[in-house]
Amino acid sequence: MFDIRRISTSRWWHKKKSWILFSIFLFLIFVRITKGSIYKDFYYFISKPFWPGESQKELILKSLNQEYLIKLNLLKKDNVRLRKILNLQESSDNDAILAAVISRKTGSWWRQIILNKGSKDGVQIGSIVVGPGGLLGRVKSTSFFTSSVILLTSPESKVGVWMDRIQINGLLIGSGDDYPNLVLYSKDADLKVGDFVSSSPASTLLPPNIPIGIVHSIEKPFQTKKTAKISLLAKPHSIDWVQILKVKI
Amino acid sequence: MNKFLTKHLSLMCFIFIPIIFLWHPNWLGFLGIQPYWPLLWLLPWTMINGSINGLIFSFFLGLILDSVTVDNSFTQIPGLLLCGLWFGRIKIHSDILVGHFRYGLICSIGSFLCGILYFIQILFKNFSDSSFLLFIPSVQNIFAEVFLTGLLAPLICSNLLRIFKFSKEKSKILNF
Repeated sequence: MFDIRRISTSRWWHKKKSWILFSIFLFLIFVRITKGSIYKDFYYFISKPFWPGESQKELILKSLNQEYLIKLNLLKKDNVRLRKILNLQESSDNDAILAAVISRKTGSWWRQIILNKGSKDGVQIGSIVVGPGGLLGRVKSTSFFTSSVILLTSPESKVGVWMDRIQINGLLIGSGDDYPNLVLYSKDADLKVGDFVSSSPASTLLPPNIPIGIVHSIEKPFQTKKTAKISLLAKPHSIDWVQILKVKI
Repeated sequence: MNKFLTKHLSLMCFIFIPIIFLWHPNWLGFLGIQPYWPLLWLLPWTMINGSINGLIFSFFLGLILDSVTVDNSFTQIPGLLLCGLWFGRIKIHSDILVGHFRYGLICSIGSFLCGILYFIQILFKNFSDSSFLLFIPSVQNIFAEVFLTGLLAPLICSNLLRIFKFSKEKSKILNF
């Protein structure tokens, strides 16, 4: 007597809203898979009028001279050691790409910068990024026009470092503030405030002898580890121009 | 075009959240930390559209924000989902002044929840290393973010709520 069958238009697949939501969901999955490259490229265009001026380039050149003096000293000492070791990472300054910082997240959990050079300029994932003073981080992802750099201060960053004075390797771990933590797996290491930290010759991620920072404060030894806070030489919150160096594997 | 913009004003704002998230102006920061922008959009939008819509769009928001950040091991989705669900149950208060302060308080609590859930993920991943080193900067991050989000929420949320209400009413009239 009564037709109790559900009216066909009440099914979810007959509703326009469901399909709109589904297509938004598919689009967002696409955005997630491409690591937000659409957004980053869009941001590239709308932020173009606000990019930093050319005057920063001179500042970089001055700072680079100071940086090279430190590097030279380190390279002399390291040369003997490097001859004995094969298959080390190398970087060539001839391949350096100059890039401007177009987005900067140097506070909170997400410590990253976005540069205005992407895969079209030859930037590769894993390339290292240096600013006036020293190492800033590594390229984590690229879009056509931009590249995202994970900073040394990010909780996800872990790099091998070299303490030149005490000739020991350590691990630099980002802690979510401006001072990443240096972990030395030796309780008796003679670490002092002011000690210079550079990239480790044994690192598989970074070229050797790139200046990173100096020891800012030393924590009390914990179990077999000795930890310290490192003050970075390159300040990501004030740098507008950086260099991207390709890493030869 | 004008009608379309009026009708979908809230979604237009949604598209611009990741742009503001990437913009990160230093002059607006406190201890180098920014307010948690997604919540400032999510609260008024979810208050108007309810928990289910809030849940869906907080998931979408989380997907986009995870895409534009380079930390692949951690996600903002759990915190946003929780906020999306909660914000939808909040009724719009008739008293404007009380309403303003409520936005501040709700966004602060939401930001705290999101911060804690993100921190737990970091802690969980770095548990084997030196997790104790993460505590002080992380607590500082959470509280600076909570403070700034709570400070800006009354100003931004009340205006967005007015705009979204206006947009919804307009779209009803247009549909009619």
